[in-house]
Amino acid sequence: MTTSVATAQTLDAEAISRISDHLDEADWLRSLRGEWWARASATPPPTGDEEEWRRTDLAPLPRQGELLVDAPEVAISLPGGAAEAGVVVSDLRAAVRDHPDLVQRWLGRSQGQASHAHFWALAQAGWTGGLFVHVPRGVAVDGTIVARTVLDRNDVTYLPITLVVAEEGSSVTVLDEVVSPDGGAAWYGGIVEIRAEQAAHVRYANLQQLGDAAWNIGAQRVVVGQDATVTTLNAEVGSRVTKLGLDVDMSGKGGTSRLLGMLAAGDDQHIDINAHQGLAADHTTSDLLYLSALYDRARAAFYGVTTVEVGTKQTASYQECRNLLLSPKAGAEPIPVLEIMANDILRCGHGATAGAIDPAQLFYAQSRGLDPDAAERMIVRGFFEQVVAQIGDVAIRERVLAALARRIGSTEGMA
Amino acid sequence: MTDELVISGLEVSIGANKILKGLDLTVRQGEIHALMGPNGSGKTSLAYTLMGHPDYIVDAGSVTWRGQDLLALPPDKRAKLGIFLAFQYPSAIPGVTVASFLRNIYNAIHHPKPDDETGETSIKYTGIPLAKFRKLMEEKMALLKMDPSFATRYVNEGFSGGEKKRLEMLQMAIVAPQMAVLDETDSGLDIDALKNVADGINATLSPEMGVLMITHYQRMLNYVKPQFVHVLLDGRVVMSGGEELSHQLEANGYDWVRQQVGLPAGTGDEASAPEPVSSH
Repeated sequence: MTTSVATAQTLDAEAISRISDHLDEADWLRSLRGEWWARASATPPPTGDEEEWRRTDLAPLPRQGELLVDAPEVAISLPGGAAEAGVVVSDLRAAVRDHPDLVQRWLGRSQGQASHAHFWALAQAGWTGGLFVHVPRGVAVDGTIVARTVLDRNDVTYLPITLVVAEEGSSVTVLDEVVSPDGGAAWYGGIVEIRAEQAAHVRYANLQQLGDAAWNIGAQRVVVGQDATVTTLNAEVGSRVTKLGLDVDMSGKGGTSRLLGMLAAGDDQHIDINAHQGLAADHTTSDLLYLSALYDRARAAFYGVTTVEVGTKQTASYQECRNLLLSPKAGAEPIPVLEIMANDILRCGHGATAGAIDPAQLFYAQSRGLDPDAAERMIVRGFFEQVVAQIGDVAIRERVLAALARRIGSTEGMA
Repeated sequence: MTDELVISGLEVSIGANKILKGLDLTVRQGEIHALMGPNGSGKTSLAYTLMGHPDYIVDAGSVTWRGQDLLALPPDKRAKLGIFLAFQYPSAIPGVTVASFLRNIYNAIHHPKPDDETGETSIKYTGIPLAKFRKLMEEKMALLKMDPSFATRYVNEGFSGGEKKRLEMLQMAIVAPQMAVLDETDSGLDIDALKNVADGINATLSPEMGVLMITHYQRMLNYVKPQFVHVLLDGRVVMSGGEELSHQLEANGYDWVRQQVGLPAGTGDEASAPEPVSSH
């Protein structure tokens, strides 16, 4: 049963209201979608002249695919005891139905990153699926919440929302996976919002395994409350094009964020990430580490901006982007930018590298009996260890490594 | 088929520089040979050529191991035939633990068949069982008097000179090659570290193993006794003898050899050949 409400090209206020009709939504949600549609219309899509968008040409974005209104349910695995403790983890549509007050309180409350405001608004208006996680005050979820979205179509536009809210003093670990079939030029425009309230701890991993022709235009917003800690991991494996905006709002005093990324790309894949680490409160810490292994003709761009706001004291931040080029035709363009408007900082730094494997390393490994492919695999796996070692959750680490193996090869035998 | 490494008339260039100019040397299994020479004489070039470094071009001559042409093989195939090179400047491999690296190279070389006794039904073969490998590694580390924490560090990353050389010896002990080429294993070590590494070599030696120890100085030979000593000058082996030759060299210097064989005197400390690979 598929109802066609619109394509991305024909999306308008009326089509948005047809989504609400189709999902039989309450008035508050109808008007929320309407407000966001108005914002999407008032915020033009990027032209390509913007610093954040000049490395990704949006002209070939497949806008003709129909909007997926009957998205498959998100498959959720919830650790024992979580539901009894009042933790809500559910497909977003089901959450709207079963926990309307809770969803209404949190959904659509946050503005997206300026550079991605159009796509953020589009998803807030046109979402038809997604994940909702809410952890009540003081509840520590023991174990990993795994949410898996398996799309069976590769010719559609899908704009889901993941919303993770961890109330004061709670803690939660979430693995959010998406898989779609190869071959069709789908537009996946998933947005993610993570809110860690005071002293909450959130670990969120996003494992993207979209089909090889998919366009992934995503945006993530992370709000780190006072003394809260958030670790995000983006593992980008699939898609033809991935353009991700990552916006971290460090507005709670004493908050900490760790932003990890692992990208393994080959063929003609193009991955372009804009990160913004906004240090807006005293004693905040934000460290970013993105690693890319690039094969064939794959290209990775990284444009990261760290902003240390006026008057903030004792902030600490770093952004590091390292790229391993495994083919002479692969390329990387890491651009870190620091905007420091405060005098009293602990540290604010950046590092960016792009280069091939050192031939001496390869010879060394080969001299020990590893053939050139095995030697390369081992060195690439070692390259990623800098991030892998920081993934404390075993379930996430294993899932992510298994997914990366599609590009970097099996890591069996790595003790 | 003889169990010997035969180098004959070997001529090798790197870029436009001819480094080895007709080198002859034979090392049999069970023998320890020392190859001594000043900087720039071609010592490291020989080591790299034996292992198949792509920057070294063989212009003439042959290298055979048990009658098989080594020069036609890539480095990994040479290793699988039992050849081992202990590097003068081993590379760091960030993010790969010593334990993982050792297990990988052990599997690459020895390809043990799955053990029937373990009742393993896994179709996917993953090499030596982890527990079995751990035991092997711990045994060899104890033999070399190495701290177990060594296994969890990343290969050569942040290692001291002595630690790097000890890891080379540990690899040799794990791989158990039939022919080991030790390239300046004594360089950069203080006397305690040198003794330590030499103990490691002695503990690893077996009657089935041939050793070619390449060194600038005699001091290592006080700890690892060679039966044969050769002098490399200007890309050729110009003199061979027993262990006493190393003491003569130590006493008289390389210019004494030059006089003996009718070569012009050196500058005292010849310029080193350009280092072909970056060290870490």
